[in-house]
Amino acid sequence: MSVFLEINGTAHQVEADPSTPLLWVLRDYIGLTGTKYGCGIAQCGACTVHIEGHPIRSCQYPLSSAAGQKITTIEGLSPDSTHPLQKIWVDMNVPQCGYCQSGMLMAAAALLKQKPKPTDEDIDRYVNNICRCGTYPRVRAAIHRAARLTNEESQS
Amino acid sequence: MNAQPKVTRREFVVTALATTGALIIGLSEEGVAAQAQITPWDKTNPAGSLEFSPWLCIEPDDTVLVRVTTPEIGNGVMTQACAFVMEELGCSWDKIKPEFASTNRDYLNNGIYSQVQGNISYFAGRSTAENRMDTYMKVAASARERLKLAAAEQWGVKSEDIAAEEGRLIHAASKRSMRFGEALSRAARVRLEHEPRPKDRSQWTFLGKKSPGKVQIPLIVNGSAIYGMDVRLPDMVYAAVKLAPVHGGQLQSFDADRVKKMPGVLAVVAVKPNEPNASLKSPFPMGFSQAGQGVAVIAEHYWQARTGLEALHVEWNDGPGGRWKSTAQVNQALLQATQRTGGKPEKLLGDAQGAFKGNSRIVEATYHTPYCEHAAMEPLNGTALVTPDRVDVWHPSQHSQMGSFVAADEAGVSPEKVFFHQPYVGGGFGRRIFGNDVRTVVAVAKQFPGRPVHVIWSREETTRQGRYRAAMALKAKACLGTDGLPVGLIARASGGPGFSVAGLADTALMGVIPNIEVYSEVVPLHILTGPYRGPGYNSNAFMVETFIDECAHAAGRDPLEYRIKLYGKWPDTGWVKCLEEVRKKSGWGAPLPKGQGWGVGVANWGMRGKADAGTTVATVAKVEVSRDGVLKILQLDIAFDTGRIMNADAVRVELEGGTIFGLNMTLNEELTIRNGQIVEGNFDTYPMLRTADVPRSIGVHFGGLTDNPRYNEIGEPPAGSVGPAVGNAIFAAIGKRLRATPFRKEDLRWG
Repeated sequence: MSVFLEINGTAHQVEADPSTPLLWVLRDYIGLTGTKYGCGIAQCGACTVHIEGHPIRSCQYPLSSAAGQKITTIEGLSPDSTHPLQKIWVDMNVPQCGYCQSGMLMAAAALLKQKPKPTDEDIDRYVNNICRCGTYPRVRAAIHRAARLTNEESQS
Repeated sequence: MNAQPKVTRREFVVTALATTGALIIGLSEEGVAAQAQITPWDKTNPAGSLEFSPWLCIEPDDTVLVRVTTPEIGNGVMTQACAFVMEELGCSWDKIKPEFASTNRDYLNNGIYSQVQGNISYFAGRSTAENRMDTYMKVAASARERLKLAAAEQWGVKSEDIAAEEGRLIHAASKRSMRFGEALSRAARVRLEHEPRPKDRSQWTFLGKKSPGKVQIPLIVNGSAIYGMDVRLPDMVYAAVKLAPVHGGQLQSFDADRVKKMPGVLAVVAVKPNEPNASLKSPFPMGFSQAGQGVAVIAEHYWQARTGLEALHVEWNDGPGGRWKSTAQVNQALLQATQRTGGKPEKLLGDAQGAFKGNSRIVEATYHTPYCEHAAMEPLNGTALVTPDRVDVWHPSQHSQMGSFVAADEAGVSPEKVFFHQPYVGGGFGRRIFGNDVRTVVAVAKQFPGRPVHVIWSREETTRQGRYRAAMALKAKACLGTDGLPVGLIARASGGPGFSVAGLADTALMGVIPNIEVYSEVVPLHILTGPYRGPGYNSNAFMVETFIDECAHAAGRDPLEYRIKLYGKWPDTGWVKCLEEVRKKSGWGAPLPKGQGWGVGVANWGMRGKADAGTTVATVAKVEVSRDGVLKILQLDIAFDTGRIMNADAVRVELEGGTIFGLNMTLNEELTIRNGQIVEGNFDTYPMLRTADVPRSIGVHFGGLTDNPRYNEIGEPPAGSVGPAVGNAIFAAIGKRLRATPFRKEDLRWG
């Protein structure tokens, strides 16, 4: 089956079985390997991407459902790594092995878009990805700092 | 989108080493087109560059290539290598580009890299090991002096009057300067009469003073860091693999006819890896790389291979492991072994039996810890291209040299024909050291020669085909003196093959009790084991430090004060210093409402029985247990003694991560066994802590450092002390003593 996708603003035509998870379409057919395979059962969140601005776990999202939708992956979060979260992630030495961090960033970016001043409870609820290295305290602190930075910038 | 890396066919051209005085200029412009220099591919020296040593090369644009032997698993080894060079060379930080040192070059050139640290040279272990540091700093100091001499010669001035700063050579008196890159052709001809000595520690301006973040993070945050899973090569195909579900079992038969006709499927192959060739001079014994039998489906895309594999009917011969029907049966065998006498003596001191005579102050308990899986976020995977001339491997290894030997062994070629390309690693924790995963990858790829085969274990396969932390049990019995401290200890440990008494028979406890007997016994279980963030140590730390807590309560003492008295007898002052620091910083002992409690644990990884060695960590936990049995970790504080530190934030990161890892191990992790197979497969049954489950911050305190001249490891140590601290806090909160993990399976209801 031939499916049309808009990924990071670019049109793609994909020939694949419609039941193929979007994760593997992105990684193997399109070559966007920033979106990671961690569990395949929507538990860990390493495969998080945005569809029409909403975070979804792409390992459980079939290609057929993604047809015609606007998809954003970590490679498209910003054109030049200047999303506030990306800058603060570097500044605060957040990742350890880094494998889960694309998903963390995509979950955090979706949260900030929806709630520019998230509470700790918001972070607990919406950034519930798994990180085996234990970056959780830094992820939390970095989200709060990005929120402060963004709000200060928007006020000035 | 990621640049597609090309397979390079050029090897390094090396004539001699800088330290003997002869130098070479980089010869080729050919390399791998990478999106950033720190992408981890073998490459030739860039055009016009000068290789001062195989460890260090400078390019005409002042880029400093630092060759790093150690895979980067997230612990910052790559960044630390750059920091050593930074201290001596006088370059600018943003011009340093690390790349992984070729194992092939090492093999061909008599161990130019691996001679430095022997069998752990290519291991992503401690970044601050003395000989590793020494090598980088000598090489960088030598390069700096050569550059200065080159500039001195050009300007007709003395080299002592030239300073190397921020990648420039500066002669202040004449206000002249040049970039490093402009001095390379002259520097290539410089002969040093004496190799310079690296700076004394008192002169350091970078090490210990600055805390650079990990150099690969800019690649991580935009998705361009290439992990093993992300390797993409021309003509690459994918394989989904399944190995015998009972470890040690054999492949009997499979019916491939239907699967072969499925879309995209190219082949269905039996995986029957070679018996390791024990005569190879590999860094670790080749037997460690033994891999199980199985099947693989090869297809144009991974999801096609995976779908095919799931449709494949396979018959297995379970072998002897099948007789272990249940976890209860395994646990019973371990516990029974602790009740016997004799076995392998691990530590014998004084007269332990005599110490118990006439002493009625006896504390006795039995402990148990289960099999645990590393569960690195990047599932097992690797890619290999087998051709008649050579074997190329792209593999997220924790030991690329071991991986190279395993690839050679499995492909049946000489190690000089293996080219091992090290990508980033999505977590290691000990799982990816010995190369059994490399063996499986090559065993599949050699059946599909001429095209790169990317072999992927599903999460479920990764979990069930682990090399786990061994299950173990311990029976401990102590008699207490009139001061309440133990005067005699009799302990008997048991475990599956691969278990160890590190953290028990080699710890400070052996130095503070005068009469000791420690014995061990191996129970012949079939489950495969391996190192897991401090082999043996984290299990023993849990058992020993829970037991010490029981002794403190039996003696009617404050558990933290008790440990200060006990470990005050040990000559390494770091133990008491850590305990005092964490007592002060945590607010230990402040009155708490009912259902809350304080607990402490202290342990050392790496001391091997010696004082002023290894890393000591003391952890204090404050917990709350609700009446209906829900546990919440309210606060965690840590003090540690590595001796000294190089990068304060890197240390802090590892202490946070290691603590959360140890917390997960203690609260959540247990692999269970049914009919010889591992039951758990994914995070729904092998749960992980998430953001909501850990304290909002973890207090990392630096006041335990003794300034003893050592820079010890920091990744493993905190994984040992946090578990007993939490268990002891639960006892303080509700009076229930937890002697086995994971705690989530315990009933904590009270009141």
